[in-house]
Amino acid sequence: MTTPVMNDASRPNPGSWALVAVAWILVGIPLAWGIYKTLQTAVVLFR
Amino acid sequence: MAGLLAKERIIAAPGFNRWLVPPAALAIHLSIGMAYGFSVFWLPLSRAIGITQPVVCPADMGFFARMFATTCDWKISTLGWMYTLFFVFLGSSAAVFGRWLEREGPRKAGVVAAFCWGGGFLLSALGVHLHQIWMLWLGSGVIGGCGLGLGYISPVSTLIKWFPDRRGMATGMAIMGFGGGAMIGSPLANLLMNHFKTPTSVGVLETFVAMGAIYFVAMLCGAFGYRLPPPEWKPAGWTPPAPQGNAMITQRQVHVSQAWRTPQFWLLWAVLCMNVSAGIGVIGMSSPMLQEVFGGKLIGIAGALKDLAEDQRAQVATIGAGFAALLSLFNIAGRIFWASLSDYLGRKRTYFVFFSLGIVLYSLAPFAGRIESVPLFVAIFCVILTMYGGGFATVPAYLADLFGTLHVGAIHGRLLTAWSMAGILGPVLVNYIREFQIARGVPNAQAYNTTMYILAALLVIGFFSNLAVKPVAERYYMTDAELATERQLAHEAAARKG
Repeated sequence: MTTPVMNDASRPNPGSWALVAVAWILVGIPLAWGIYKTLQTAVVLFR
Repeated sequence: MAGLLAKERIIAAPGFNRWLVPPAALAIHLSIGMAYGFSVFWLPLSRAIGITQPVVCPADMGFFARMFATTCDWKISTLGWMYTLFFVFLGSSAAVFGRWLEREGPRKAGVVAAFCWGGGFLLSALGVHLHQIWMLWLGSGVIGGCGLGLGYISPVSTLIKWFPDRRGMATGMAIMGFGGGAMIGSPLANLLMNHFKTPTSVGVLETFVAMGAIYFVAMLCGAFGYRLPPPEWKPAGWTPPAPQGNAMITQRQVHVSQAWRTPQFWLLWAVLCMNVSAGIGVIGMSSPMLQEVFGGKLIGIAGALKDLAEDQRAQVATIGAGFAALLSLFNIAGRIFWASLSDYLGRKRTYFVFFSLGIVLYSLAPFAGRIESVPLFVAIFCVILTMYGGGFATVPAYLADLFGTLHVGAIHGRLLTAWSMAGILGPVLVNYIREFQIARGVPNAQAYNTTMYILAALLVIGFFSNLAVKPVAERYYMTDAELATERQLAHEAAARKG
């Protein structure tokens, strides 16, 4: 198993998390739209 | 420009957040994943000249004359060759350029992939304008196919290096994008074709140009988002597991030129090929299979598909399309689910589950048809499709565990030739067995039963191949001197100075 060690150079800048959120939103929105459109097609199977 | 793309230019600065790399990888994989959705263009392209109805070529017109003919429409089977070309060139380009990718870095590979994929769309648009099918084959099929291969493998090695603690989850996130690309691309293409169509055009030309531009920009954004971790980088608070902890995860490195000489490489090749062959076979026939097996029962009336009226058949076809859509959702969900789970279960055990559960489920499918249980039938194939996607998403981490991370991108590239083989083997097996059964007088509803048992047999081969995977023998590992030389060649020495 792994043992924790302090490794500050590897720790991300606190401000970088906002950028992470923006990047994920940019790819997440089209993906969510694609999933929504697919669900619209798939839902007939359950009617 | 070349400097901007160089490997040493993309070494991350201290404090870089590794969670920025998966969305960059997703931007590329979501773009190239549209390859799965290209069938949305077949129908409009098959009446590109006739607009409302296809203009049929004269029966005596030869193959080459049809290739250059500008007065009659293309058949859907002719257009379908583009799909075959995609997967043949995906596998071959990944195999051929994998080593180059490791040397030059993921950003350059991502940019080249963007030019190939986006450029392929533009050449195809020109092909539609001039009505030359060979330009579509060359543009999207060959050049675009090379973009697929390069784009597909471009983030793999980088993600594994950024997430040594969660290799499966990291590659699963990217490869999930490849499964999800068609979910965005197909409805987008429909929207664009409807927007651009006129009484004299089916709107495909303009859609190709628009989508080529969109994908080009998205892929460039992804490529420029790639960063490599500095040498010896580790996530904060994590140390590698002890070498003796798990023999199936090596801390050493195997050179790509040695990797394909190992039995492990060919066993994994068989594992991937069998898993993908079975899954592709199901994907290709999912909609007609549901319709033929259950016929009128899908809309609450008795009777086989052939006995239904035209409007009833249309209703059944809509349900078939819904089934195919549902399977695609499970396909992408399986990529992230199984790949993440493999970080805890181990790769060998994960594939053990794929194959053992897969054999049971494929064998159970004819039973679900016999007892006319639509929910059981649908559930069986949903689980099967998660394991199809999971197989793709887990294999890069399996390779990294066995061969080390140094050349995992290039080794993965070579392994993808198994996908090319499966892309031919799976559909051919399924279609020929079905036709053979029907020719022998087996009713359409039962014609898939033998197919299911044969697909289960493919999984038996995969099961034993996976079972035979053992740690790589000592003689295949790189020595410290070889590793130092390799790192020098890979510009890592320059990065250390920088």
